Amino acid sequence: MARVVLRNLRKSFGALEVIKGVDLEIEDGEFCVFVGPSGCGKSTLLRMISGLEPHTSGAIEIGGRDVSGAEPSERGIAMVFQNYALYPHLTVRENIGFGLSLARVPKEERNRKVDAVAEVLQLGPYLDRKPKALSGGQRQRVAIGRAIVRDPEVFLFDEPLSNLDAALRSQMRIELTELHERLGSTMVYVTHDQVEAMTMADKIVVLNGGRIEQVGTPMELYESPATPFVAGFIGSPQMNLFEGGAARTMGCDVYGIRPEHLTISDGAGQWVGRVRHVERLGADTIVHLDVPDLGPLVARVDGGLTYAIGQQVHASPDPERAFKYRG
Amino acid sequence: MTDRSLTARNYAMGVVALLLAFVVFIVPFLFVAINAMKTAPDAAQLDFSLPERWVFWENVVTTVQTRDYALLLAYWNSTLITVCAITILVIFGAMVGFVIQRRPSPVSRFVYVLILSGLMIPPAVVPTIWVLQGINLFKTLQGMILIQVAYGLGFTVLLFRAFIATIPRELDEAAIIDGAKPWQVFFRVVLPLLKPVTVTVIVVQSISIFNDFTHPLYYLPGRDNVTVQLTLYNFQSQFASQNNLLFMNILLITIPPLIVFVFFNRQIVAGMTSGAVKG
Ligand SMILES: Nc1ncnc2c1ncn2[C@@H]1O[C@H](COP(=O)(O)OP(=O)(O)O)[C@@H](O)[C@H]1O
Ligand SMILES: [Mg+2]
Repeated sequence: MARVVLRNLRKSFGALEVIKGVDLEIEDGEFCVFVGPSGCGKSTLLRMISGLEPHTSGAIEIGGRDVSGAEPSERGIAMVFQNYALYPHLTVRENIGFGLSLARVPKEERNRKVDAVAEVLQLGPYLDRKPKALSGGQRQRVAIGRAIVRDPEVFLFDEPLSNLDAALRSQMRIELTELHERLGSTMVYVTHDQVEAMTMADKIVVLNGGRIEQVGTPMELYESPATPFVAGFIGSPQMNLFEGGAARTMGCDVYGIRPEHLTISDGAGQWVGRVRHVERLGADTIVHLDVPDLGPLVARVDGGLTYAIGQQVHASPDPERAFKYRG
Repeated sequence: MTDRSLTARNYAMGVVALLLAFVVFIVPFLFVAINAMKTAPDAAQLDFSLPERWVFWENVVTTVQTRDYALLLAYWNSTLITVCAITILVIFGAMVGFVIQRRPSPVSRFVYVLILSGLMIPPAVVPTIWVLQGINLFKTLQGMILIQVAYGLGFTVLLFRAFIATIPRELDEAAIIDGAKPWQVFFRVVLPLLKPVTVTVIVVQSISIFNDFTHPLYYLPGRDNVTVQLTLYNFQSQFASQNNLLFMNILLITIPPLIVFVFFNRQIVAGMTSGAVKG
């Protein structure tokens, strides 16, 4: 069984420390998403788990075995890259079967396994094509197929959907989730997109500047973000965060309130502001306000409500759901 | 400026360029070809008139037979040197380019500097001959092959390195995860992708090695070691009046590389400019 455990993992490139001590336990069969802004070290962390990047100090365990010194191919992992990394000179069948042919698996068995994977991913008609002749979504499937055929204990994904268009991305999100349910393997998934994190993860690891900011289920992170960073990162539209004088009047250093936890009214309310911009999404409407006491404020209100630009309105936070941070 | 005058100007410039190319490339070739078909006294004039008597075939036969079929021996020697040197160049060039591009380290950077200096510093002939004599390779085809490899390696490595830089590193990493050993990464993933640049290297280097004049002149003296360009001496020193045979010889040794070039020039350009992974 493949629990993945990272103990005080560090990584430096020369003098630059990129991963600054990460402790993490990923349970067997869990879908774990690393999320964080670009450059925070997500890929580096994933590549250290894969063994492509040696770590500077600390330990990595996969399935109870310390793999700190092991070759990538000995770690029981498979990886799907952002740009797919399909072998351009090989057909889809050879791409998927490449690892098996390296391992000198007999041809019949190899074909049988490749066919089985192609069946799952609906790649049957394309098995004799070169990657060049495939669409982005199909290439992505081939890359996933190449991972599945290795029958790994842990799947590693590095932003696998970021080269796809929006429609295909949401479809692939569902397919990946279903694949995870079907295979039951541990999956570690890197993304900078908090929507992917929220929709797919069993466990989200929020990274910031080479450190873990918070670990939890999507709803835990949404309902009780431990730091202003997590509060601002999880949720869309972003949480309204205020520092300085505005926050001090509310008795804290950082004050946060989600757009969906604000009520807008014409009558009395906590803050008075003017409507600067209105985004109509149909079911919801996002209202951007200028509040003299605070600065810009975003509220999510029912789609049926309308506001004119420049109109003066009152906004009130739900005090139960406001976040107050110190330090 | 109107569209019409623009196209007229483009047209005129095209014609001028073609004329220039004609004067620079075709006229000398025509001169050689015409004189190669003249009789000896006729060719001694060294002018552009048509031959008084066309003696194409006689000249071919005489040229080939001169000095006990030296031209055929030269073809054999040059071909052997070219094939062996190219084989070594491609294999080593690709491997060295791969290591230098993929594994940056002080050692590989130092090797890269050496390779660049090999391109820039002119070769020293006399010390090279000392070295060849010291290892008993002077006046041997093996020695000549190694010399050609040494002279060609810098450029070859440079071409391979630049091309390998266009192959995404993730491809190597995917192969490593699939369980490939380093040599399998090279031979099963990278090498097959090097086809365009390999064609370029083969064509460019084989023409320059096959046509080499100075290096065989310095390092490969001896009747049995003659290479194609050195056959020109057959008609230079003996008699002054054998220009027709000299030109026929030029024609005969120019044609094989020309054919290669005509057939492969598309691939050559493609290999120079393209990356490995398209679309
Ligand atoms: N091979 C490398 N050499 C030097 N610095 C690197 C290397 N790889 C990544 N980095 C640095 O490490 C940091 C984290 O990179 P990465 O893990 O790719 O971030 P993310 O995937 O979260 O966007 C970045 O600041 C990046 O510049
Ligand atoms: Mg990344």
